[in-house]
Amino acid sequence: MAYQNPKIAEVAEQLKARFSELTNKADILKAVELKALYAEIPSLPAEQRAGFGEEINSLRSELQQLVGGTQAETKTLAPIDVTAPFDSNTASDKHPKLLSSELGSKHPLMIEQETILDIFYRMGFTASESREIDDDYHMFGSLNFPEGHPARDDYDTFMTVETATDGKRFIAPAHTSTMQNRILKKYAANLEAGSPIAVLIPDRVFRNEDLDARHEHTFYQHEGIYVDKGINAGHLMATLKTFLQAYYQKEIEIKTQPFYFPFTEPSFEFALSCPFCDKKGCSICSQTGWIELLGCGMIHPNVLREAGIDPEIYTGFAWGGGIDRLVMMKYDIEDIRHFESGRLDFLRQFS
Amino acid sequence: MKISLNWIREFLDFELPPLDELVDTIGSQLGAVEEVIDLSKKYQGIRVAKVVSCEDHPNAERLHVCKIDDGGKTQDVERDDKGLVQIVCGAPNVRESLMVVWLPPGTTVPATAMSDPLVLEVRDIRGVKSNGMLASARELGIGDSHEGLLELEADVQAGSDFAETYKLNDQVIDIENKMFTHRPDCFGILGVAREIAGITGHQFTSPEWYMSPPALNGGGGLPLAVKNELPELVPRFMAVALSNVVIAPSPLWLQTYLSRLGVRPINNVVDITNYMMLLTGQPQHAYDYDKVKALSDGDTATLIVRNPHSGEKLTLLNGKEVEPRPEAIIIASDKQAIGLGGIMGGAETEVSSETKNIIVECANFDMYSIRRTSMAHGIFSDAVTRLNKGQSPLQNDRVLIETVKTLCATTKASVASPLIDDQHLQSEQISRSSVHPAVTVPTDFINKRLGLSLDDAQIEALLTHVEFSVDTKSHSFSAPFWRTDIEQREDIVEEIGRLYGYDKLPLELPMRTIKPPVKDPLLELKSKIRSVLSAAGANEVLTYSFVHGNLLEKAGQDKTQAFELGNALSPDLQYYRLSLLPSLLDKVHLNIKAGYDEFALYEIGKGHGKGEVDEDGVPLEFNRLGLVFAADPKLARQKYSGAAYYQVQKFATHLLRECGKPQTLTIIPLDQADAGEHVVLQQMLAPYEKTRSAVLHNGKYIVGVMGEFKPSVLKAFKLPDYAGGFELFLSALSSETAKTYAALPKYPKVQQDISLKVPLAVAYQQLYDFVWSTLEASKPEQTTLELSPLDIYQREEDTEHRQITLRLGIASFAKTMTDSEVNSLLDTVARAASDKLGTERL
Repeated sequence: MAYQNPKIAEVAEQLKARFSELTNKADILKAVELKALYAEIPSLPAEQRAGFGEEINSLRSELQQLVGGTQAETKTLAPIDVTAPFDSNTASDKHPKLLSSELGSKHPLMIEQETILDIFYRMGFTASESREIDDDYHMFGSLNFPEGHPARDDYDTFMTVETATDGKRFIAPAHTSTMQNRILKKYAANLEAGSPIAVLIPDRVFRNEDLDARHEHTFYQHEGIYVDKGINAGHLMATLKTFLQAYYQKEIEIKTQPFYFPFTEPSFEFALSCPFCDKKGCSICSQTGWIELLGCGMIHPNVLREAGIDPEIYTGFAWGGGIDRLVMMKYDIEDIRHFESGRLDFLRQFS
Repeated sequence: MKISLNWIREFLDFELPPLDELVDTIGSQLGAVEEVIDLSKKYQGIRVAKVVSCEDHPNAERLHVCKIDDGGKTQDVERDDKGLVQIVCGAPNVRESLMVVWLPPGTTVPATAMSDPLVLEVRDIRGVKSNGMLASARELGIGDSHEGLLELEADVQAGSDFAETYKLNDQVIDIENKMFTHRPDCFGILGVAREIAGITGHQFTSPEWYMSPPALNGGGGLPLAVKNELPELVPRFMAVALSNVVIAPSPLWLQTYLSRLGVRPINNVVDITNYMMLLTGQPQHAYDYDKVKALSDGDTATLIVRNPHSGEKLTLLNGKEVEPRPEAIIIASDKQAIGLGGIMGGAETEVSSETKNIIVECANFDMYSIRRTSMAHGIFSDAVTRLNKGQSPLQNDRVLIETVKTLCATTKASVASPLIDDQHLQSEQISRSSVHPAVTVPTDFINKRLGLSLDDAQIEALLTHVEFSVDTKSHSFSAPFWRTDIEQREDIVEEIGRLYGYDKLPLELPMRTIKPPVKDPLLELKSKIRSVLSAAGANEVLTYSFVHGNLLEKAGQDKTQAFELGNALSPDLQYYRLSLLPSLLDKVHLNIKAGYDEFALYEIGKGHGKGEVDEDGVPLEFNRLGLVFAADPKLARQKYSGAAYYQVQKFATHLLRECGKPQTLTIIPLDQADAGEHVVLQQMLAPYEKTRSAVLHNGKYIVGVMGEFKPSVLKAFKLPDYAGGFELFLSALSSETAKTYAALPKYPKVQQDISLKVPLAVAYQQLYDFVWSTLEASKPEQTTLELSPLDIYQREEDTEHRQITLRLGIASFAKTMTDSEVNSLLDTVARAASDKLGTERL
């Protein structure tokens, strides 16, 4: 590499010469000449500073590469027999061992996901996972979100630079409903055979939000879909109430508020009486006695039609609720960011 | 959407239920209530008063000592012998006979009520006693003006309650906007008032001017023309010119209505258009006629609806200059752009205090176009909030006519042009006075979908309360002209359900057979993996699906193979991860630093790389399991010996034993493995050191990798030397691994070891497999075998060989095995191994 500045070029020569003689190669990065160059920056005329600084940085990274190269060389370890169960000359008391089961843990979000899944299995649902990369059609189009509809404003979706064959960007799904069309199609044959479509979809979803103690860009939802002949909104509410009573193992009350989602009609916000204070008011329910938990509604006829299901014959309901919040309330977790922190301080509390 | 209950009451002929009950009903049948603000408390005790006398303060130049008359209404206040109250006032406009607002001692200054309440007291001001204060508009929280006292109309009654006089004894309810995404009519007081009638079981009757607008007699004198070049995007554009407008502040009652709903009063013309918007949801815009004319050709003020010319710029009312996006709807004169249609007017044609003549525009815009333009320029005005929901084009004439009438009455203006109505609606929409055709819905359809048994009369009542036309004979339902959302049967069902009350529906679980549901194999497998690994002392982590480009580079991966997010808020989330391991490696150092000296972290998740897509055209997703094991160097020296690879292999083989598929996986050294062109695989293998890692191969493909990491990776992630990991595709695992059972032999098991000096080129597994198959081929009948590794030893002086000791266990169903039988069996093995593998028995 040729350096424009004569001073830097000179130091580069010196240091490269010295490098071959060093035993501890990394010491070259601590060379006084390099420090002296950096120290000179403030005394330069303002218009020269940036260029000079850039050149020193490239010198430094050139040296770093030299150091990196030799370390990789010197550190190369002998090949091993990967088919053996333990290394040569290992005493029997030092053979590989699993760790103590007392230390092991499942992630609290996954524990909760399994609990929810278990209840819905018992209620007659099957299950399916969602996706982490999807297209506009499944995320919006198949769910009755017209192009440019204001309802799309409520979904701050991450989108890729790369595009699908239709020229639209791929999307990191902002809701598990991105699976609705696929699930409805997959199980449509159930209906003709006289059994309902009953599927739970638990998975990770994404919203393009800034992180703070209450907001994550990555979180978990459980989505439910139920379709059959003669299904009405009363069935939806009874199903959710039954689930929540099983989940909290106590009697609860429910209430709904009308809402708007393009893919359900009617749509509701669903709240339950606070199971932690029995409606007396506590910090978890912000003293209101109620906890708003999920969004739900009757599947919009256009969504059924799009999946080849005749809405004149079949009706159904769907819901989507967060899992993170359930866990945070259950254990009184103060910061949602702990979930994806990978910190053993957090994780091992759930061993 | 903020609503004022007092304003709502103007349109109701029944008493509203108590506030708590009303808020609950709105919540459960209209939309979530975000906030209830009780204004009446804010204005408690405040009175209208008359300034009876006003004299200069003896000790202060700018102050006055006033005597005011409050009709003797306020209790516990010091009065003179005529019953008047003394107040010191510094406002420049205080004078005799002025009607003012008096804040008696003990009241709170309303503008301070929400933040830091200022409670008034009797004070001595420069030697003169002052009982409370006289207030400005700003102090009352109803406007910006602080130049002097708020001057009330001369005909108000001294002593009357201020809040009552101006209907400020009000409650403002804020209903979540989202509920009204498909209800543009509910962005108006009228729409919400109608819904409140409907959900409380009362008939609503829209005002006469809204239902049957009077004809507006056009005038002359101000030539006005409209040219609409975008009839698809602007299906209706109405405008009219008014002359001799006297611009002034609005009447106080009007100002207070605007301010309590968060709209700043400006002047009578702007305030009246805003008032009508708050009332009906339909935004309008007022232009200064003469300014538009000056920018037009000839003597006619011309409004042109068009797209912007290339590079055309426009300064908006908020002072910002924009270059509207090419598809934007702009309003222009002949000469230049003068407004961003439906979003914000232009500064150059703004109505000001000098304005004499105005144009009022009342237009309907395509909601999608409005939304895109608003997003593109980051302008979110009150007009945008309403127009991007798609207002009904059937109400423009009604709103404009009422606006014009109010303007004429309030500002002494006269209509000075014909009422221009450039409309491109379907003729049926006008003839039936409904945006969509009537919907026919059988009663049974409604009841089935609600789980109710309503009769026709009940259904009719629910819908006619909110002014639907119902034909019970044909079950035909026609939505009123302001409703844009009633197109199909389900829309009628939703309406009925909501007006009836969803919380009143009978709760009943769906019926199903007792056939057990099928559990999802993938979710079952994940659950099983968690159980197995957690019992093995490993900790499950979840890390983000998106990573920083640096993380990929640190792991030796190629970020150009990763999907990139175009709109991530932070570079930490720029790429979809290519495999799980780099994310796990990223969590090692922080835990070592936190004092954990040995641990295994695992994650079950997905990785993505560019390349293959599924039948829907979306990228294939591969479910994987990643695990990383690390030990602090100090502990590693004491507790472990040899390569960390073996510790990782221990976890992998344990997992495979519990969750493996019946097929056998082969361990192949990484330097002999070929990932081919497979991007996902190549990237997964990237962090591993070739000579100290292995792939797992199922005979067809590589399904996993395990081993130690390249020195550059160790360094980049600050990993301890004793570290390793593995990553497997879940397709290689199964939750249904069948355990096998062999009958127990009747005779005791005999154990004997065999030690062989093995050339280094012979891998352990090769030797083991050879010994095993030789044993199986040569063993006596009716015996069962076990073969396990006991020791692997390499002498320092002999780098060509290893000594491998295996322990044989043999048991028979027929007899007790003798040592000589076992010896002879092992001899056979040793001879065969010597022949085939060049080993030597020790």
